[in-house]
Amino acid sequence: MKQLKKLMALLLALAMVLALAACGSTADSGGSSGSGASSGEEAGDDGAAANLDSSAELEVWIWDSDQQDGIQEICDLFTEDTGIAVKVNVVTWDNYWTLLEAGASGGEMADVFWMHVQEADKYMSNDILLDLTSYIEADDGIDMANYYEGAVETFTYDGKYYGIPKDHDINVLLYNKAIFDEYGFDYPDETWTWETYYEVAAGITEASGGSVYGAAMNTTNDQDGWWNIVYAMGGSVISEDGTTSTLDSDATKTAMEFVGKLVDDAFAPQSLVSENGTSGLFTNNLVAMICQGNYTLAGFTEYDGSENYSTAVLPYYDANGNGQCDDGERVTIYNSLAWSASSSSEHPDESAALVLWLSSYDMQVKQAELGVTLAGYVGADSAYADVITAKGIDASAVQVMNDSATLISYPHSYYTTTWQNYYREQLVNAWLDTSTMSSVLDDCAAYMNNILATE
Amino acid sequence: MAKEAKVKVKMSKAEKNEAMWGLIFVAPTMIGLIVLNFYPIIYTVYQSFCKTGDFGRGNTFIGLTNYQNVLTSSEFWSSLLNTLKYAIIEVPFGIGIGLVLAVLLNRKIKFRGGYRTIFFLPMVAAPAAVAMVWKFLYNQQFGLLNNLFGLNVAWISDSNIAWISIGIIGVWSIVGYNMILFLSGLQEIPHDYYEAADIDGASGIRQFFSITIPLLSPTTFFILQTRIIGALQVFDLVYMVMDSTNQALSSVQSVVYIFYKYTFTNGDRGYGAAIVVCMLVIIMAITFLLQKSEKKWVFYN
Repeated sequence: MKQLKKLMALLLALAMVLALAACGSTADSGGSSGSGASSGEEAGDDGAAANLDSSAELEVWIWDSDQQDGIQEICDLFTEDTGIAVKVNVVTWDNYWTLLEAGASGGEMADVFWMHVQEADKYMSNDILLDLTSYIEADDGIDMANYYEGAVETFTYDGKYYGIPKDHDINVLLYNKAIFDEYGFDYPDETWTWETYYEVAAGITEASGGSVYGAAMNTTNDQDGWWNIVYAMGGSVISEDGTTSTLDSDATKTAMEFVGKLVDDAFAPQSLVSENGTSGLFTNNLVAMICQGNYTLAGFTEYDGSENYSTAVLPYYDANGNGQCDDGERVTIYNSLAWSASSSSEHPDESAALVLWLSSYDMQVKQAELGVTLAGYVGADSAYADVITAKGIDASAVQVMNDSATLISYPHSYYTTTWQNYYREQLVNAWLDTSTMSSVLDDCAAYMNNILATE
Repeated sequence: MAKEAKVKVKMSKAEKNEAMWGLIFVAPTMIGLIVLNFYPIIYTVYQSFCKTGDFGRGNTFIGLTNYQNVLTSSEFWSSLLNTLKYAIIEVPFGIGIGLVLAVLLNRKIKFRGGYRTIFFLPMVAAPAAVAMVWKFLYNQQFGLLNNLFGLNVAWISDSNIAWISIGIIGVWSIVGYNMILFLSGLQEIPHDYYEAADIDGASGIRQFFSITIPLLSPTTFFILQTRIIGALQVFDLVYMVMDSTNQALSSVQSVVYIFYKYTFTNGDRGYGAAIVVCMLVIIMAITFLLQKSEKKWVFYN
């Protein structure tokens, strides 16, 4: 009996040790696959592209569940063509970078995934991403000149391509017709300047006695919010060479004082915005219009009352004062995600093939036709706006903006996230007391310059 | 002495056998502790002296610079104050209410098991889910609290009360756990004492203060110590309830919250490591003081 107990205990202990050993061995296999990747790259350099292992299984990570079905469909077409199985997984934005970085630091990483402008430099400079240059050169169908230039540049490092733009976005005004009707204001249209936007938004807030607000914008609504105003008015966030902050420049400050005026007279208060989000306030009919990226529009069709929702082009800033919108006066800051592959993938050739597939003209067109997003390939997305309109929200403004507005690519540097989070937090103080706007911007610029100096 | 030592070294076969089995038995725990606890602790301390590179590569030793930056930043001290404020709500109220519930539910009443289960339920729910539900309850515009009582209070956006609102969630979450521990403590108190007190004519309240409280002190001490440590590490409630643009955030964010912000959002692991090492020292100091005080008020039969 005693012997039996001992034996059981020993077996149990052994099982536990083995379990630990098993953890260790998976980490080892991750390491060895890293060396496999480098040999794969060599194969790519030789130009031997088409010898794909059809038994491979690729894992794809994205963070937007709204796009999952469409992207899986495009990946399924890839599977039909090559036999390589592809599984598209959604990791929510809040966890995405933590998990991706954990994978990159020595764990299991997806083979193909989305890359974002805020993080791209860090991943590219540390060789986490697969160098796609040789694959792109070997493929006749891909010419980087066809993609949005600012986006291509974002995902290029040391002259090598680490990502191919998957999409770009367009900001529009999303508005609720019912609120405009109720308070007797005309719907926004292409004649609106930012000044008109102010007058109407403040007018609605005043007319409702503060029960409804003309507009709402959080400090985090930079690319899909105040950046568009700042850049239209000649301001900027970072100098063109990316070495100094321009948050404290005169033009930026003038624009932000204007934003401060909006905060005071037109916007929903910060407590409501931070607790509910601008879209939460909008869908509850508390806010008449919000600035939105095109990729969110389809989601709004699911709300009660969405038959009242419509879109308009962003207002312009009449810089020359001639009373009409000229070239460069209607600005939207666009962001492009890129398809990237892991340099430690066990299947680098197959991963690169999938990236090229997703970026090809046909699949970019397909992506727009499925209503997933606008394309990263210039001119491949004329079908997109109609698909969204068919879902229930008139998105024709997206196409008008896409054709005629000035598109400026997302300002960024190596540590974008760090300085961006800082000013997003600090600007809350300026939102609460807009008389401090100028000093808050000075403080943010100083912080940002400190960060930029270390890059 | 030398002779004694020599004797100790010599073990009989049976003793050797026993020692080997002992080691085998503790090995899984030891290996687990070393891999999952000791190594990360040492590595964190090492990182706190470094300017850390991305993806854990290229750390450069910079001495005490991180500590200097942490200890001179007002953000660290204000978040430490916030953490203490949270602990001051959670620990005493969590213990007080838990004790009262335990005493009430230690009597023979109907549905006793049901009540115990209900009070323990928050402990079973995932903290993130609990925080989300409370976030909805607290919502100024649409929340149940304001709508039920016809109020218009910014529960989590007013810096004067947001820390209390967070503390209430903490108390609600922990009361059941404290109650269960107190129940087990109560059941170890022999009935003879109460019978003797009854014969001597002591009232129920007198019995509670003269018998229950002193004899429960080992349990109270255990709960106090673990809950202080737990409360000082509060993170999930703040992280889930407070949006990063919440205007009351600076009066609520805890030390672990800013640790998370610097380490994982901004990717500055060295600075983050220095924050938690400072926190570790503070927690160790508090634990030490508690242990010192133990002799003064804790009775072991």
